[in-house]
Amino acid sequence: MAQMKNNIKVLRAEKGITQEELADKVNVTRQTILAIEKNKYVPSLELAYKISLFFKKKIEEVFQYF
Amino acid sequence: MSYKNFKLVRLLIVFFLAMTVSIAISMENVLLAVSAIGIGMILMLLIKKNVKAVLVDEMVRNIAGKSALIAYSITVPVLAVLSLVFMFSNLDNEGSYFYNLGLIFSYIALFNMAVYSVAYYYYRKKYGSDEE
Repeated sequence: MAQMKNNIKVLRAEKGITQEELADKVNVTRQTILAIEKNKYVPSLELAYKISLFFKKKIEEVFQYF
Repeated sequence: MSYKNFKLVRLLIVFFLAMTVSIAISMENVLLAVSAIGIGMILMLLIKKNVKAVLVDEMVRNIAGKSALIAYSITVPVLAVLSLVFMFSNLDNEGSYFYNLGLIFSYIALFNMAVYSVAYYYYRKKYGSDEE
């Protein structure tokens, strides 16, 4: 089965920010960031772009589709 | 207002509402209960406006949508079946309590279906229209 994966946790650690701070920057709740990091929730394209823009990365560098 | 303070104030409002409504019920005072609920709703709206944290985001809306669909899918068939049972088992006694209950259930089920259809048509038109 196809699956979305991401490396938000790694990027967040590199930047030294908490889930709460990332959530504030992209206007979602901390629970949403947690669910995305654990691959339990697939974000909308808009949110995926917002997260990628925040890390200054291309969307495919943050999110991978297998 | 931070999210932590919001949760505290929300708890206080719920406590106020529970107290006032229970007092109103014990006093059999409908006006007091309705005013308490009105005041509670206004207070909730006011504090929600002052919260800086995000309370509702796309995941919350997604969950709410799925839950609403499940609730609808269960409620409407259950109401429809119950209304048929109540009405058909009391056909010889049309004015009875159970017959009227069945009638009310069927109207509620129909109202739910009508609201769903209108909402579905609206969103289909909004997102699935052939117009460019």
